[in-house]
Amino acid sequence: MFAFMKKDMLILIRDRTELAVLLAMPFILIAILGFALSGLLSGNSEVLSMDVAIVQEDDEQQGLDRFAEELGSAGIPAEAQAGIMAAAEESSPSSILQGILTDDSLSGLVTAQEMDTASATKALEEEEVVAILTIPENFTFKALQKMMLDAGDGAELQLMISDHAATQSEVFHDILDEFVWSLNFESAIARAANGEGDLPVAEQTQFGGVESVSAVQPISSFQYYTIGMAVMFALFVGATISGMAYVEKQQFVFNRILLSDHHPLVYLGSKAISAAIITFLQFCILFFLSSLIFGAFDLTEGAFWPGMLLIAFSLSICVGAVAAFLTALTMRFDNDTITTVFSGGVVTIFAFLGGSFTPTEGLPVFIQKLGSWTPNGAALNAFLLWVQNLELGLLWEPLGRLLLITILLLALGLLLFPRKGEA
Amino acid sequence: MLETEELKKVFKGKTAVEGASLYIDKGESVGLLGPNGAGKSTTISMISTLLKPTSGDVRLNGKSVIKNPSDMRRVLGVVPQEIALYAELSAYENLKFFGRIYGLTGKALETAIQHSLELVGLVERQKEIVKTYSGGMKRRVNIAAAMMHEPEVIIMDEPTVGIDPQSRSHILEMVRKLNKEKGLTVLYTSHYMEEVERLCDRVYIMDHGKIIASGTKDELKSILSSEETVWIELDRPYPAFFKELQSIESIKQAIETEKGIKLILPKGSRVLGKVFQASERHHVQIINVNVQTPSLEDVFLHLTGRKLRD
Repeated sequence: MFAFMKKDMLILIRDRTELAVLLAMPFILIAILGFALSGLLSGNSEVLSMDVAIVQEDDEQQGLDRFAEELGSAGIPAEAQAGIMAAAEESSPSSILQGILTDDSLSGLVTAQEMDTASATKALEEEEVVAILTIPENFTFKALQKMMLDAGDGAELQLMISDHAATQSEVFHDILDEFVWSLNFESAIARAANGEGDLPVAEQTQFGGVESVSAVQPISSFQYYTIGMAVMFALFVGATISGMAYVEKQQFVFNRILLSDHHPLVYLGSKAISAAIITFLQFCILFFLSSLIFGAFDLTEGAFWPGMLLIAFSLSICVGAVAAFLTALTMRFDNDTITTVFSGGVVTIFAFLGGSFTPTEGLPVFIQKLGSWTPNGAALNAFLLWVQNLELGLLWEPLGRLLLITILLLALGLLLFPRKGEA
Repeated sequence: MLETEELKKVFKGKTAVEGASLYIDKGESVGLLGPNGAGKSTTISMISTLLKPTSGDVRLNGKSVIKNPSDMRRVLGVVPQEIALYAELSAYENLKFFGRIYGLTGKALETAIQHSLELVGLVERQKEIVKTYSGGMKRRVNIAAAMMHEPEVIIMDEPTVGIDPQSRSHILEMVRKLNKEKGLTVLYTSHYMEEVERLCDRVYIMDHGKIIASGTKDELKSILSSEETVWIELDRPYPAFFKELQSIESIKQAIETEKGIKLILPKGSRVLGKVFQASERHHVQIINVNVQTPSLEDVFLHLTGRKLRD
């Protein structure tokens, strides 16, 4: 088996065109896309950071007092009134929102400044802030009335966003959406629990949606495209290896191999392992060079690289399975059109679906789903989760998808590969 | 040592080989002749276990190799018609790979590589990339690759196609030595009749998937004719001498030609003594005598109606 793999490596090293496709091309694309789209994608804090104006028209204490009066007039027993009031003070939406916007986890991303309406409007016009969040009069009272007593029309936040920084405005909008959704959700749970006589206290930390957004590490365009191009060009390795198998068959070298009394599946296995090793080396070279030249990743960060290598290893195995599958098809039908179609079209489609060119968040959900089931898409997903969170637990889902794809392709490869050497 | 029995191969309803039975004794050199599409390569593929016959059997030392191809593969070397090498690797690297897949390692592998390179005369250029070699050199490496595991039987499928006369001569001499001096059993196919005549003890002729004739070279030639032609070149015409030759009973026919006389004789007739006695009596100056027997090419033409390279 080692002889087969060594031979494949030697042939690849001598083939400058293939080397250019597998190494030089992705590196050039990382450079081009990394520089060109840094403004769009960059996770650098200075690019995504935003100043927002808070116009506080609500008097929280006044709202709480008014809510206490409302409770008193609602005919609720005194003991229950005290409990509800305590909960209201702890889960006052105005305080929670202020807490979120000034939380350390959002520092560097959102800088909130309290202003009056006129100053805020002027700041927005002069592009000093990307949004104005107005907490309207009686917001605390109306929100508590709806949350605790399920009465009234509820409260609304008013958000005015700017056109000049669409991405930042969008992010801020998402943060508020998450806040409102969490608040409504918590209230619904609280009301449901109240029905059973229990009175939960809504903790700020329970607004997990907002917390999770803020915990994500930003990702730079060089990081994104290093990963995006690496996972895309990994697929070309599969095509390259199956192309080599076709040449071996055409030149009757495959017959020589069969005559040496090796089982055909040993040959297929060698192709899969060669592809996996080459892919892994390709990853290492691309990540190293991109880190060294573009500073995409910190090469000295010890805790970061094991996760990266684990994902790279998983995708490499999957590319090995891709190579085995393509080799099996090529050998069975004695035709390399499949390989040509794969490298000429399928890889590009997979790259688009998997998010190698641009993040798939803006695409329809079914395309996102489809992309997550491509080898490159699943790997990209895993890489991003790792880069942004450094949590191993988050990787199992995309890596599980990758494993399933690998098993499926290997099974198909084994099934299709001609066993008798008669194809 | 090696025999096939009624080999048949049908591809998608088309019969490529039908009822091919042949044998090769240990140390023998046997030629397989046939025009393109005759079924030679298919027969070779079945013998070498690369192709499973539709029916029939291939036996090595009396044991069928259809179900147990390993026995055959261990002792067999195949030189395909194509250059079955990695063009991007050097001759050394190619031989190293093919040696390794036959289980050779370390010193044994290195010895086998150098031995094979010496055999084909490429020791000096072993580190050069194969794609930079001439056609003849590629063919030689192609043979060396098949010799790496020191096979007992070698099948050579047109190993000299498209190469220069020097390389061709080198290859033929090498095969002859391997057969005569090392006792290698050879099954040789070629478009070049003279190669088969030079190298092979016996010959099988295939056409349209069937073996249509077989035997030693002389046996095959005897198929063609029971006559011999003798050309006598003279310095000038000798009418009396010609007249005496016409009267000799063993000579079926005497014909005057531009340069001398053409005699048609029954095959094996010992008439040349009488011819020379008559020439002395008539003081005839004989410049040259040429006894012409049928060639295998003539036999092939006679049997198939086609020339070998049609």
